Parts: sequence; structure tokens; C-alpha cells
Amino acid sequence: MRFSPAVALDGLDGLFLDVEGVSHLWGGEAAMLDDLLARLERWGAPARGAIADTPGAAWALARYAPDRTIAPPGGQAPLLAPLPVAALRLDEAAQAQLPRLGLFQVGQLLALPRAQLARRFGLSAMMRIDQALGDAREALTFRRPATPWFERLAFFEPISALEDLERVTRDICALLCDRLEAEGQGARRFELVFHRLDGRDQPVRAGLSRPGRDAARIARLLKPKLGEVDPGFGIEIVTLWAADVEALSTAQPSLDADGGVSLEEGLAPLVDRLVNRLGEDRVWRADPHQSHVPERSVVRQAPLDPPSEDAWDPDRPRPTRLLRRPEAIEVTAKLPDDPPVQFRWRGKSRRVRLAEGPERIGQEWWRQAFDAIGPGKVRDYYRVEDETGERFWIFRAGLYGDGETVPKWWLHGLFG
Amino acid sequence: MAGAKPALSALRARIAALEAGTRTAPPVLPFGDPRIDGCFPAGGLQRGGWHEVGGSGLEEETGAAPAAFTALMLRPLAAKGAVVWVMRRADLHAPGLVGLGFPTGRLIQVRARDEAEVLSVLEDALATVGVAAAIGEAESPDLKAGRRLQLACERRGATGILLRRRPYGGPVGRVREVSGAAAQTRWRIAAAPSQPPPGQPGLGPPRWRVELERCRGGRPGAWILEQAEAVDGPHPFRLVSKLADHDVAAEPAPAPSVGFADSAPRGGAANAA
Repeated sequence: MRFSPAVALDGLDGLFLDVEGVSHLWGGEAAMLDDLLARLERWGAPARGAIADTPGAAWALARYAPDRTIAPPGGQAPLLAPLPVAALRLDEAAQAQLPRLGLFQVGQLLALPRAQLARRFGLSAMMRIDQALGDAREALTFRRPATPWFERLAFFEPISALEDLERVTRDICALLCDRLEAEGQGARRFELVFHRLDGRDQPVRAGLSRPGRDAARIARLLKPKLGEVDPGFGIEIVTLWAADVEALSTAQPSLDADGGVSLEEGLAPLVDRLVNRLGEDRVWRADPHQSHVPERSVVRQAPLDPPSEDAWDPDRPRPTRLLRRPEAIEVTAKLPDDPPVQFRWRGKSRRVRLAEGPERIGQEWWRQAFDAIGPGKVRDYYRVEDETGERFWIFRAGLYGDGETVPKWWLHGLFG
Repeated sequence: MAGAKPALSALRARIAALEAGTRTAPPVLPFGDPRIDGCFPAGGLQRGGWHEVGGSGLEEETGAAPAAFTALMLRPLAAKGAVVWVMRRADLHAPGLVGLGFPTGRLIQVRARDEAEVLSVLEDALATVGVAAAIGEAESPDLKAGRRLQLACERRGATGILLRRRPYGGPVGRVREVSGAAAQTRWRIAAAPSQPPPGQPGLGPPRWRVELERCRGGRPGAWILEQAEAVDGPHPFRLVSKLADHDVAAEPAPAPSVGFADSAPRGGAANAA
């Protein structure tokens, strides 16, 4: 799509691109072909390419000629002549027969009288030859973009003022949303692209937590991001593309009262505003996850996703604040297996008044390589309360008497 | 405070009606104990306003006790709609809130980049349909930001909580206290030693030393509160003891200055409205 709007698939391992009138954007056909193949290679799909007048000739040159051959307009016949006959995309019977008759190269075939060829190998072979040489047309099935949810506005004069960008944003959103509404669809992702005069694209994206088609709302989400758009010498085309399109029931007039609005309907715009402003990773709902390790027991979910089935075990007390990384503490314990009687955290010594535990939490060996498992991975958690009533969640990593190293104590959370 | 002079309470009601304009009296969140509810003008924590909750000492940084207290206090609201919790450090642990009986199924957590963003997200959330309460962790907002929060709360009747929390590594010492004015109430929460049931090992239900430092139209108070068990009724707290005045006076905020700070901004707020 980057190179041409018309792309057709060819079997399992080929692509046809219609590049007529496109190559000047890359400074010539050779440069464009180099760019295309370099990109494919970077994406892990090394490929060969060729450019010719006809799909048939390009097919042959890409596969059997030296890589990156470019046939001059109307000049494919001499380039095709030294190639093997397989380059002509003949059917299997014809391809098997030709070598037996001593015809190995395309040039030999082209030198024969057409009538004989047609009689011997059928009309399909003649058609393939004509298609390669450009004497017959070949229809390719071009792939259209998967989504029809695409709108485009071109301007007579390039625009660059921020107010103009805002206005066209509203206009193009209205265009697309009208179509979405007419078909009873809503979309969750919108990409607005400003195409500058110098060929650079300036994309702006917005997402919704629920499929929507409210043009004003989408335009409002896009509006704060328009400031980042650098119009350069001007913008001549604006495109808007909607993705994640889903069926959406017909519009219900929003009732601006607490009773009449379902919870989600009220919250979705808020979540959208926050997500678009702060980023998706900064707005979440904590959901239970099947794991004993405290750090892993919470997964972040999109706030309006359906809730998970799991639940946290209510019999296992958990702190309200969980430190991202446990902090080392110095402890004094009477007996090796007892909770400490005193510990020092952040420079302040605390005497433990009450303690509860241990709650033993082993590492989840099924998530690890086998070597990584050992007694050092076991944690014994204690809930302790100091003399002022502050409560802490501390643990001892490892067991006494299991190795040379003395187990260390850590503070993992605060109950408050 | 009510019941002493009928003329006085009638006057108070008229002033309240003037202050509220044409709005109906906001609903309240009662604590279920007259010794606490009596401190508030409407018999409970006022919804449709915002409240400031802070800690002391190291709690100013970790904010654990204020968070636990806030979660418990807002527990009845969590059933009424979504709760938005805005913070700068994502160290809130949802299983811990569930342990306090606070449902997290509709708790939206937001991590903001700076103070201003916390306040603006908080304001946005409070003004949204379907949000019953919003909690923001920030240092004290200035008067203007506080006023904006108040207006946002009044739009939908949502309850706002500002958890005063100093950023890690921030300047040590007392946090700015300028805000106060726009908040309905200001609380200071500290942990208190728990009392396990006799003959039972381990920890008792958590207790907090709760000081209501400032209350608009009401009076301050200080109590030791304990998380209520299911048998104690629907209210989340159980009053263990009321702290005597001299206990409160030991804190750096003496009573007269509290009263003064209380009356001055109220005039300002009335002018602004």
C-alpha cells in the first residue's frame, strides 16, 4: 500500500504491484524497487523483483532474470528470450512437452509460427505468450483495503492553519460517521492522516473503549493532538480510516440524567478521554489473576472490559500498598523460624508488637526453567504490627539451614 | 450542637439554603455513630463535595493508612457507581482493597504524570456521569484548583477525596497547608495499635487514629476507629474511643486557629458563588 494502491496476490509467494505513475515519488523505478525489496528484507521476507510493462513479463523477469531487472517500455521481448520456457506460466502439460521437443528457451518459442504453436499447445499457451509480450491484456484481482471505512478529503488549496485542521477533522469525522451510522456500525480506532505537499504523512490516532460513531466526540478526541501536526508547506489531502468496526445498535439519544444513562455509557467517554490523553498503559482496572506470587496476582485490564471470573482469596490478607520492589530490612529475630521482634526500614527502627504468619508462598516452578528452582525462592510472609499500630507485610526469602547463605528479610507492602 | 437554641438552628438552615442556592441539600454518608456524625452539619460526610485526607510522618510519603481509611469510608459509594483512583505511583494493591471490603470491579486506576494532571483528571472524573467517587493522590491544591474540584463535585453529586501524598524523595517536612479552604473537611489519619480479641493470636482488626481537623459548618473531632466486622452493621467503622481535647491539642494544629481557618474562606466561597 505504501508503494501502490493496487496490489494483487500471485499464488503463495508473489505480489503484483501496479506502479504506473507512481515511481516518480521515489525518484525512478530502480530506486523504488530497491526501496521495496530493502523493506521486505528488513521485515524478514527477502524477495526478488522486476518491473515490466506486463504482469506476465514482470513475473518471468522476477523469477528467472537477474534480480531487479527493469524492462524498458515495450522492450520485454529481448529480455525474455534467453529465459527458460517455465517463465511463461504455461500449463503443466505444455511445460512437460516443450523440453522434449528441444524447446528450452522463450526465444525459441517466440521464433516459431503462431499457428503451429496454438495447434500444438493449445490456446492457453498462446494467451500466456501474448500476455507476457503485451499483445493481450491480463486482468489482475487487486486487493482492496480490507476496510471500506475510509474517507478522503482533498483540498483545492493546501491548508496549514490549526483552525483549518480542526475544521477538516470535524468534517471528515462527520462524513465517516454518517456512513457508519447508515450501516449500523461503530468503530473503536480512528486514524487521521494529513498528507503534506512534500509527500510526508502526519498521522493522528484516537481510540474508543466502546465502538462509537459520534463524530463530535471523535473530533474532540483528535483535536488536542492536532497541535503536533506539522503542516510544512501545506496539507493537500486528509484521510480518515476507521478500524475495529463492529455492529452497533441504532443510536439512542443520550439522556443527560443520572438515572437514564447506563453506567458504561457514562463512563466510556471518560475512559476514552483519559486513554487518549495519558496513554493506554496509564488507565486500567486491576483484575484477579491466578497466581500465588503477589506481584503476579493482579493483571491490568482495560477499564470497561468484561470482568474476569477469578477472585482473590479473601482469607489471605493483602496490603493496600504493594511496593514495586521489596525493600531490604534489617531484622532481629529470636528464633530462626519466628517473625522478627524488631526491624529497621528506611532508617527507622520498629519494635514488632503483634505478628501473624507465616504464609508460605513458593515460586511458581512451572513458569521457570528447572535450574532456577531452589529453597531460596520460597517466601514466608508475615503480617506485623509495630508499636504505633502501623502494619507491614514482610517476608523472609529462603529457609534457614538449607544452605550456607543466611535468608534475607524484605518489606513488601503496607497495610495502612 | 443542634437542639440548643431553635432560633440558632433555624438561622443556620437559612444560611445553608442561601449557600446552596437552589440546590437541594446534598446526601450524606453517615458513619453510623452520633458522636462522629454530630460533627458534620448534615449528619454525615457530605457527598457532592471534596475532602482532604492526609497522613503524618512517613505516611505522608507512603499514604497507606489514609488510603485504607478512604477506601473504607467510601465503601458504601463503591456500590453506587464507578470509583476513579488517580495516582502518581502505581502502588495501590487491589487485593488489599478487596480485603477491606472495597469492591474493585468498577475501580478505574489512573497513573498521572504530575500534580497538575492528577488534579485535572480528578476534576474530569468527578464531573462524569456514573462516577460515584474519585480519589486523587497529590499535594494540596491551591485555592483555585480546590474551587474547581468543588464545582466538579457539585455537577453530579460525586464525592472527591484528595489523598495528600508527598512524592517520594520530595522535600521533607510538613506539606503545604494553604489548600484547606475549598475542601469540605480535612482529615489526618494515623495507624493505631490494634487489639486482637482476647485469647486469639495474631492481629486484630485494623485501627486508625482519625482526626477531623477541619469541617465546614461543623466542628472538628478526633477518634480511634476500628474496621467494623460484619456483625456490627452496615457502617464500615466502629468507634473505639473518642480522643479527649488534650490529646488533639498535642498535635501541631491548635483549636483556635482551626476555627479561624474555618470561617474566613467560607466568606470567600460565598462571594465566588
